[in-house]
Amino acid sequence: MTRVAITDVAARGPYRAGTAPAEEPLASQRARKMMSGAAYLAACALAELVGKLAPSAAERAELGYFLGVGGSAGALDDVTALLDASFVDGAFSLPRFGDRGLAACNPLLAFQLMNNFTMCHGAILESLGGPNGALFSRGAGTIAALGEAHHAVRSGACARAIAGGADVATHPVTLAELARDGHLGRGLVPADGAALVALAASTGRDDVVLDGCAHASGRGRALVEALNDAFARALRAATSSSADTRDAAPTWAREDLDSVGHIALSAWGPPAAEALRAYAAARFPFATLVDVSTRGETLAGGTAFALIAAVELLRSPSLEVVRSARPARAVVLSLGVDGDPGVILLSRGGAA
Amino acid sequence: MAARRRVYVRGVGAFTPLAPTWPATAAQLADGACGIREIDAFDATGFPCRHAAAIATPFPDEDRRLPYARAAAREAWGAARVSVAPARLGVFLGAESGRGRWQTVVGLARAARGEAGAFDHTRFAREARPFAERIDASVISPSAVAAALAREYGAHGPVETISLACASGSAAIAEAARAIRLGEIDVALCGGVGADVDPLMLAGFGLLGILSPRGVSCPFDAHRDGFVVGEGAAMLVLSAERADATVELAGIGRTLDAHHLTAPDPEGDGAARAMTAALRDAGLSPGAIGYVQAHGTSTPLNDRIEVTAIRRVLGDAAERTLVSSAKGALGHWVAGAGAVGALYAIHAVATGVVLPTAGLRDPDPACAVPHVIGRAAKGDVEAALASSFAFGGANSCLVVQRCG
Repeated sequence: MTRVAITDVAARGPYRAGTAPAEEPLASQRARKMMSGAAYLAACALAELVGKLAPSAAERAELGYFLGVGGSAGALDDVTALLDASFVDGAFSLPRFGDRGLAACNPLLAFQLMNNFTMCHGAILESLGGPNGALFSRGAGTIAALGEAHHAVRSGACARAIAGGADVATHPVTLAELARDGHLGRGLVPADGAALVALAASTGRDDVVLDGCAHASGRGRALVEALNDAFARALRAATSSSADTRDAAPTWAREDLDSVGHIALSAWGPPAAEALRAYAAARFPFATLVDVSTRGETLAGGTAFALIAAVELLRSPSLEVVRSARPARAVVLSLGVDGDPGVILLSRGGAA
Repeated sequence: MAARRRVYVRGVGAFTPLAPTWPATAAQLADGACGIREIDAFDATGFPCRHAAAIATPFPDEDRRLPYARAAAREAWGAARVSVAPARLGVFLGAESGRGRWQTVVGLARAARGEAGAFDHTRFAREARPFAERIDASVISPSAVAAALAREYGAHGPVETISLACASGSAAIAEAARAIRLGEIDVALCGGVGADVDPLMLAGFGLLGILSPRGVSCPFDAHRDGFVVGEGAAMLVLSAERADATVELAGIGRTLDAHHLTAPDPEGDGAARAMTAALRDAGLSPGAIGYVQAHGTSTPLNDRIEVTAIRRVLGDAAERTLVSSAKGALGHWVAGAGAVGALYAIHAVATGVVLPTAGLRDPDPACAVPHVIGRAAKGDVEAALASSFAFGGANSCLVVQRCG
């Protein structure tokens, strides 16, 4: 069975409101102007990660890229210019919008508005041509993106793949959405960011192995039940790639669950984080726990930030404060606003 | 290693500008009907294109994705006659964002505007709150439709929304097939929905300069000058169990052009790689493909390059493989386009009826392949290829074939 290693990571953010990232040189100012905030952050992280991988031109053409993305949104200046030019006698006019509104607007605005462009801008700049997907994510979609990348590598569709999430939670429309649903009132701190990991077939000498990941629908059932379902699915995903996985024995046995030393959480606000903490405490009472959401919630990026945190915990013995031996395994738990929980299973290289 | 699980098409459904079901739509399409009309849902005076393949609705200001998808899903589910445990059912949908009301968008933009047009967080926090009540995530979120369908059909398996622009619907079907193949689920409700006949999308596509000023969708025609927006939903029920299915989803291919934000690779490289990957995945030679449901947008560049890619992949077989595009009759559904394209391909394999490219009168010599013009063609189609190529360069191709 092909195991899949996480070979490298890269991230930008989380940037809370008012702490904009420093501009990084990309291909051109024109390219920058066409990007939404999320596309720009994803492109910056992707450039760093591809730089670490240093693929040949032929390898770039086969490199997979799967990204959890939020709803893209245009720059406010362009949106307001478009709208301001669309009023007649104080009333919004569609004909005026279609004529003068469009004329007043940066014609590149359209490139910022499509969700898949969060992925495509960076892919074009880095000449990535392999299997791909932009999955809308309010948490679980980023798990799905990681799962697709995992499968693409395991099945041989590509030798290497990049996966993660990028989002801008500080855009006005998103802020309004978060406010309306009560997340801001319950303590969610919105932030912007992009986080990516690079996957490749394990060489047996890797730091961290991605064993499996899965998400499950949380609709119409208790969170614990949905989390247990996601966990069971992740365990099954850790089995052979192309066979029917229903009856296959999981690579994580009971003793492996006992060796989980780290839990990384990504949750939409304190209530969701509390629920995940309670689940983790009941299932893995001796594991150390880190909650990346406390640094700012990056929505579609949040799960990927938690994944990177778990990778770093497995890589860094200095971060282990409880046990004398380095823990062999880590689990990422995510719970987004969609209510669909996700689980990622990681092992330290050579642990299986 | 165990054999790969096969993926059977158990049911299809569609809600289109021509009719509220797929059989009724297909019957009209076979006769050469076209759903493109002058827009009457709103005043499109001054817009770059004033025509669309719209569905008449009494609620033009409200998000229409869910009713469209719900209708198509109901039809597909009814035809499938499947029985599945909630945990073994997944929902996979190609969808982009829904729409908030105009007054809300305008109000939010103004509330956030500080000195010199810069974003003013303090002002926004103070003045945007009344508008927040009008932003309903269950309406504007891309994932809202898949979530609602999952709730209605009791799906406890994976619920995924693929936002890959024009390739969304095709990629969602591909992802559903992958989940069945891997044994993650046994049954998938999948497809795509587009409801983009609205001012914002017309504005966005108008900014790109890719709409037909004449309002005519005529893929591969010498006089084509851009696409026409359409809307609707197409859904499939896929299953690991064959039952009485006659068509299976046999191949998937997905690539990126890595070339340009709107223009395809000039040699059609990304498209050709996706087609080749789908054929390889299906274990079929190019000669086995009897019909290609082309992406065929009616833009000058796409159609010429797509035909180049078809010829490259099919080789000599391109001289006899029938080709048509759904967008001539139904317009471009964007996130739903790949799903209705898949229905064209399934229809050809299941019935031997190859639906035509409406609007095509005078084929461009640069797009010379065996087009289906005017009315449907009859043929013995063992396998068909359905292609979707998105803005941004994401390509997704599906191969369907008769069950062996």
